[in-house]
Amino acid sequence: MKFQLIFPKWRKLEGQTTFNLPPHGAVVFAATIPDYVEVEFIDNNLEELKYDDDVDFVGISMLLTTQIKNGWAIADEYRKRGKKVIFGGIATMLHAEETMLHADSVFLGEAESHMDKVFSDFKNGELKQVYNHMNDLPPIEIVGPARRDLYKRELYYHKGVQMVDLFHASRGCKYSCYPCAVSYLGGRNFRPRPIDKVVEELATIENNRLFIVDNSLAQDTQWEKDLFKEMIPFKKKWVSHTIEDKPEVLDLAAQAGAWYVYQAVFDTSDYIRRRVKQYHDYGIGVEGTILLGLDNQTEDDIKRLIDFLLEIDLDLAEFTVLAPFPHTKAYVDLVKQNRIFNKDWNDYNAGQVVYQPKHMSPERLQELYQYAWDTFYKDESQEEKMFKLLKKVVSREIEDGTFRKPVKDLSRLSFGKNVKHKIS
Amino acid sequence: MNTKVDDYQDQVYNFNGLWDLPSICGLKIVKKGKNTFIIVTDLYDENPGTSITEWNTKLAKEICDKYSIDYNQIIYIEHTPNKQTKLSFNQESFFKVSFDIYDDKFENPQWQEITKEEIDKLLTV
Repeated sequence: MKFQLIFPKWRKLEGQTTFNLPPHGAVVFAATIPDYVEVEFIDNNLEELKYDDDVDFVGISMLLTTQIKNGWAIADEYRKRGKKVIFGGIATMLHAEETMLHADSVFLGEAESHMDKVFSDFKNGELKQVYNHMNDLPPIEIVGPARRDLYKRELYYHKGVQMVDLFHASRGCKYSCYPCAVSYLGGRNFRPRPIDKVVEELATIENNRLFIVDNSLAQDTQWEKDLFKEMIPFKKKWVSHTIEDKPEVLDLAAQAGAWYVYQAVFDTSDYIRRRVKQYHDYGIGVEGTILLGLDNQTEDDIKRLIDFLLEIDLDLAEFTVLAPFPHTKAYVDLVKQNRIFNKDWNDYNAGQVVYQPKHMSPERLQELYQYAWDTFYKDESQEEKMFKLLKKVVSREIEDGTFRKPVKDLSRLSFGKNVKHKIS
Repeated sequence: MNTKVDDYQDQVYNFNGLWDLPSICGLKIVKKGKNTFIIVTDLYDENPGTSITEWNTKLAKEICDKYSIDYNQIIYIEHTPNKQTKLSFNQESFFKVSFDIYDDKFENPQWQEITKEEIDKLLTV
């Protein structure tokens, strides 16, 4: 049986450096598919679809809200040709009822231990409209290594430099933050993978640079320390979301190869200033993530926040505007207050204002979002700051003997396409 | 001055939310004359399932059916408690919700924010 697994493309934010990382959720899902199924993975951000391919069954894996309308359009095309289409992934769970209008089946929940049944139902012509496993999460111990063999590897290089591989050491989150839907998606439980399972998967990853995509590693100190200890021998360098700022954790993280971490910067407090400094003291870079447009922010607050970012020596900053994704408190609050004026999911990309902010017009917030990017990167562009971070990791890799030269054959390609050289 | 309450409920209420997710909310029912006040409290941090706002058309009907309350005599209020943070969007709020009711179905929720003082006044007049 041939199963085509598609990751739909989405419109990238204007003016920002685009990096195409190998999608993670789709290949984690692919690992749960029975062995008798031949899987082909297509990352539609990098490859066009050929709807007339000889396939038996089509899967569409959706991560982002801004991806879903394209996912639906793809499904419509396949279904016109008589193919059965199943949807899964985070954005499918957030938009399940709408997605059902474009699907033969939707899978809700985590795939482990359920795919034998789904594929058997498909073979028998008994595919169900909904496989609802939202309240039936699998034991975390059975989560196995992702099917990274399905990537067309040459597509994930920029001028010969390989992009990081994505990897997860846990699921769920014990926190329930205002703009986040994780508690809806996986329950408010932190589910760390057993360290031996993490190690088993790490050993399968050839890439020496990783992005640990867990919501937050800072949820269980002992597990976090155990994880970093076991990662040390792999000598990989990695990026992750927040880690704890306890000295013993930071020390182990640095030894384990922490390259840089994301840190939410939500105010101009000494706490943030101190935290950024602590990371730097251990040689760990910091990319600030700054959410603009919350109800507690006035125009002056936003401008002050941007000035503060320049003071605290962040390595990179990423600005977003609040996007009220379904099933978040942000969404519920704004719906009640009748403040959402744009329901075009293509615009839910965290770069476009889709609601009425409390202290300014939507247009003004949009301008401040642009002002934030422009001001932070005024003296040194995003590419230049990224290059600085890259140089740091290269130095560390040279020191510990893990550096790999860019692949010469791919040096003229960026994500599978010819690089256009500027002629001045 | 408090008026006499004919019937009173105050409990943590369990319901099956979206996709059958086990969900909980606070529920206070106060019957006053012809009207019945239904105050549902969102327990964000304790609720493993669906929020009261996203499920309100189903939840309001379910509560009315369970406690034999006349659909047309309810004053339905969504309450979000103060999460004790310094962030303004985590402060306490009350919204009075009105529904269109067709064929025993609650539809088209409309929210109107009201203050705690207004709630107290409604309950004590």
